Amino acid sequence: MYRIIISILVILFLTGCSGVKKLSIFKEEVPRAKLDLAKPTMPELEKLKWIIITSDNADEVFKKMEEQGLDPVLFGLNDKDFQLIAKNFAQIRAHLKVTNDLLDKYKEYYEKEDKDKDEKRN
Amino acid sequence: MLGMRLFLIGIVVTAIAGGGFYVMKLKADNEILKANAIKMEQAITEQKQLIENQKKDFQAILTANNEMNELVNNLKKDLDDLDNRFNKGGRDFGKLAIEKTETIQRIINGASDKVLRCVEIAGGAPLTEEEINATKKSEINRECPSIANPNYVPYNN
Repeated sequence: MYRIIISILVILFLTGCSGVKKLSIFKEEVPRAKLDLAKPTMPELEKLKWIIITSDNADEVFKKMEEQGLDPVLFGLNDKDFQLIAKNFAQIRAHLKVTNDLLDKYKEYYEKEDKDKDEKRN
Repeated sequence: MLGMRLFLIGIVVTAIAGGGFYVMKLKADNEILKANAIKMEQAITEQKQLIENQKKDFQAILTANNEMNELVNNLKKDLDDLDNRFNKGGRDFGKLAIEKTETIQRIINGASDKVLRCVEIAGGAPLTEEEINATKKSEINRECPSIANPNYVPYNN
């Protein structure tokens, strides 16, 4: 009889030891400071004038330059180098465009997220 | 004998009190479980939202990549076109400049102005209405139609 009663008491005490723990979720969001650099505006470029000189028109070209009050001096390229400078320029232009668009894409991707968050907060 | 009875009564009272406490504890546990379930549901909702956002991000990355690839290909086409103009049909640009000096000078000065505009556009300058609406060869900037004239579709005639 005693053994049964003691057994029941022991079981009751032991079940008291079991328990359910409270679930805690920690979440702390610290927004990163925005870089917010202004995109530089492209300045308007000055126009250039190319002059073609051949052995036939060289005298005439220099004479015209003097008449126009320009120093009779030219910085020259042969036809092959002219083609190369045109291609180099096109490469630089393409690179500039790609870099610029890449920057826009990054800005759009990351700042859109910030805008969405700001809109949600408001 | 009386002591024995008192002992038994004590045990019964203790058992009843223990049972009462146990029920109260069960109720408290139940409350905690309910709160846990709510938190779990919230966590699941947040996770779903996160997965949804990740999908959107992935799509945005894919689109950006495709657009960049398209741009690079178009710029390469412009470059090939430039190369083609200098050497089309075995053309000797130098010889042509000797034969038609004035004409070639006029052409390269016109092209040079257009190239400067291309650089401005590549640097982020906005397109003009005229550039946006250009669809004919005579209206486009032939130095960089892929970036200067978004509505121009190349044609051969």
